[in-house]
Amino acid sequence: MFRFQSLDDDCTLEEEEGLVEEEDEIDQFNDDTFGAGAIDDDWQEEHARLAELDERVRDGVGGSGDVSTASLPAPARCIPSSLPPPGLEERGGGDLAESLTRLILGTDPAIAGVGAAEPDRVRLPPPSHQQAPPSTLPGASHPLLGYQQHQHLLRRGTAPLQMNSHSIWENNMGFGPVSVAPGLGAHMEDSPLMSIIKEVGLPKRPPPIRSDENRDLSERVPPPRASSPVIGSPPVRAVPIGTPPKQPMSHVLNQQLHCPTAVHVRAPVQHRYPPPFPERLSPNTLLNIANSPLCRHPFSAGVGPVLSQIQRAQLLSSQVGAFPRGGPAPPLLPGGGGGFRPFFGQPPPRVGPHIPPNHNAVRHNTTHLHPQHRRMLTQRLQSRGDRGGRVGDRRIRDPYSNLMTQREKDWVARIQMMQLQSTDPYLDDYYYQNYYEKMEKRQERDRDSSRKEHTTKLITPQVAKLEHAYKPVQFAGSLGKLTVSSVNNPRKMIDAVVTSRTDDEEKREKQVWNKRRQILYTVEKMYSLLLEVQDFEKKFIQTPEEQREALLEQHKTHTLQLYNTLREREWDDRVSDEQCLMIMSVRKGKRLVSRLLHFLPPPQAAAVVMAIARNMPALAKKDKQDQVLCWLVEPVAVVIQSLSSSALTDLLQELQGSEGQLPRVLQNKFGVTLLYLILSEGERMQSSDPNCQLMDDNRWTELVFSVTRELLNVPPSSLSPPLFTPPNLLSLFSRYVDRQRLELLQEKLQISALSR
Amino acid sequence: MNYMPGTASLIEDIDKKHLVLLRDGRTLIGFLRSIDQFANLVLHQTVERIHVGKKYGDIPRGIFIVRGENVVLLGEIDLEKECDTVLQQVSIEEILEEQRAQQQAKQEAEKAKLQALKDRGLTVPRTDMLDEY
Repeated sequence: MFRFQSLDDDCTLEEEEGLVEEEDEIDQFNDDTFGAGAIDDDWQEEHARLAELDERVRDGVGGSGDVSTASLPAPARCIPSSLPPPGLEERGGGDLAESLTRLILGTDPAIAGVGAAEPDRVRLPPPSHQQAPPSTLPGASHPLLGYQQHQHLLRRGTAPLQMNSHSIWENNMGFGPVSVAPGLGAHMEDSPLMSIIKEVGLPKRPPPIRSDENRDLSERVPPPRASSPVIGSPPVRAVPIGTPPKQPMSHVLNQQLHCPTAVHVRAPVQHRYPPPFPERLSPNTLLNIANSPLCRHPFSAGVGPVLSQIQRAQLLSSQVGAFPRGGPAPPLLPGGGGGFRPFFGQPPPRVGPHIPPNHNAVRHNTTHLHPQHRRMLTQRLQSRGDRGGRVGDRRIRDPYSNLMTQREKDWVARIQMMQLQSTDPYLDDYYYQNYYEKMEKRQERDRDSSRKEHTTKLITPQVAKLEHAYKPVQFAGSLGKLTVSSVNNPRKMIDAVVTSRTDDEEKREKQVWNKRRQILYTVEKMYSLLLEVQDFEKKFIQTPEEQREALLEQHKTHTLQLYNTLREREWDDRVSDEQCLMIMSVRKGKRLVSRLLHFLPPPQAAAVVMAIARNMPALAKKDKQDQVLCWLVEPVAVVIQSLSSSALTDLLQELQGSEGQLPRVLQNKFGVTLLYLILSEGERMQSSDPNCQLMDDNRWTELVFSVTRELLNVPPSSLSPPLFTPPNLLSLFSRYVDRQRLELLQEKLQISALSR
Repeated sequence: MNYMPGTASLIEDIDKKHLVLLRDGRTLIGFLRSIDQFANLVLHQTVERIHVGKKYGDIPRGIFIVRGENVVLLGEIDLEKECDTVLQQVSIEEILEEQRAQQQAKQEAEKAKLQALKDRGLTVPRTDMLDEY
């Protein structure tokens, strides 16, 4: 914060026209953290004004006599410790009383300016001597005291028994004694201007006069650091990119810190442009300003002068009387001198007429609190109003108070509050909610004995979580997005962008999915049919005789339906290659076929096996991962055993297919097994029945020959081991090949002679 | 009385006189001027107070910035009751001397104790060794 300030300080002084435009940028970093508008008071502006004032005053009154009168008689030590707070002393007589009435009248912001302006002109000179609080001391013949004495005095006022450390510090700090001589030059010219402002309304950029609201800043003005403000300073000038959108919520958040009970909306103007004299200005405030030693010490002076300058500024404010600075102001003040606005002090919005003077600075909107909690808070607030005056008194006279501005305090408070924000209080804050619910009930019970509780309560912000819709900026043609990270928007490591695909791609993918869905749907349908068919036997037994006919009929249609789904055309008995491949391309489908074969009538089952043999290479290719085809072996073997010789020849023909199909079939476990099954069945036929047609069938012999040749040619690596080897294969081959080749085959197929 | 969460509760204490006990055992007294969310403190017009028996002495330290993690205890000093104390303030030299004497005495006592334990066959690890785990 301090760094910000020093940097901006310089900037501001250099180019003041730019100020108005830049206002929005100044708080970007805070905005990032708290949202826009979170921090309302524009310290930069204030600072600029302060600086201007400084210059102006220097020009105006610069020559008006040397003020730094040397050590005045120090009445401090002879002052009785029971001295009441200086702000309350009113020895000014009629003048003071009159000004007081004006002050009270001036509580209304509307007439505040008038009240402030008029006394300046009319009555400045007389009260200057009597009204400065220190002058109220009994022993003080001279109205003005050295700062040190003054401080001493003030401390004594509150803490009669003085701590040792005080003297240490007072001696060490070396505050020069300061006195103020009357001289009004500068302020006579100011007052009309002010009233003009009042009448005309507030200008966009308030005139420098208002800088007397900037007590706070001056109090904490560090020695000028114009030389190197850069190191470590954030780039205030740079326009932050991708900051979160300004949220109206933050405004509310800000208010929460100030007003606990009610949400009162401050006029937006108030934030930036408070009335020039929101609080009444005492005649001698201006007098003191005019005569302040500040006039002769420009800020750019060396460290020593600056220090003392600050001290003098503080002296001024303390001389003017007791003012609300920071914390709770004593309730007495508004009536007494407290309403005066010291030369330097708090930022305007804090002391503005909206905030009751005895409000504690840090408060919260309680609208989100549990109703019971809220009630208690308001109660306590009322009771708190009475206390704290004394504490305030002491603080008021502390020249170093408010080194931490309200803004900074708010910042800390907000940081802490942010951690407690909750969107769902019942989820996040279950015990808090229940605690207050319970307390409510308990209070209802013993309402009669309403005893006061003195427990401490943690203030929590029951605020709905702010929506931080963060949109990083992206420039056309740039590769990425520029991100600015903050508490609320941590930098994104990956920013995924949704790319819209072309219609073509989408359609294709859709088609693929549609097809797959179609297959699965078909398989599903067949399964339900199959289950019906499977359950037939059970049903058949259970149903009475007369209904069995119908059931049988139904079973037949079911079976037919099952087969029909595989068929190409209604009239064609042939199983559709496409359909077969389609169904058997999914694992479920293969299992379906293996279960289906049992229930199909032999011709249809044969047709299915035929189709399988025909599409063996394609099926084998798709089965590489699943290895589900082997499930088919058992039902297929059953079917093969029931085939006629010609059908068997057909099947072998189908399996061998066109040129180059057999080697591919041989690479598949199921393919090899199927081939063996066929050959074995043929051999069985031949050996069992010498007059078998198969012997006469040249086709069969030719096929077996070609198969044998293929088996001999195929390298062992591309011959898959079969699921099992039928024992009669050797005798089959012995019919067709010579001894040498038979041995070769035997070795290759690992047919053991013993198994025969 | 309500308080704010976390270090924000310290905001109410700003510009009041505080006593801070640090982790290394030092006691600071000064005006709390500034805090942040880590409870880093800026103390103004700080004195380091040394207590020995019924005597105490203040060593002026000026502005003291304390890293929040080093704070063991922080409390406001009631300026009105501040001087209601039975303790007697002495000069810096005197208190330092007292402190030195106290520490020396403590050391000797420790030594004697260690020796006594050793005689009985017991050893106590040195505290500075314990610190480094």
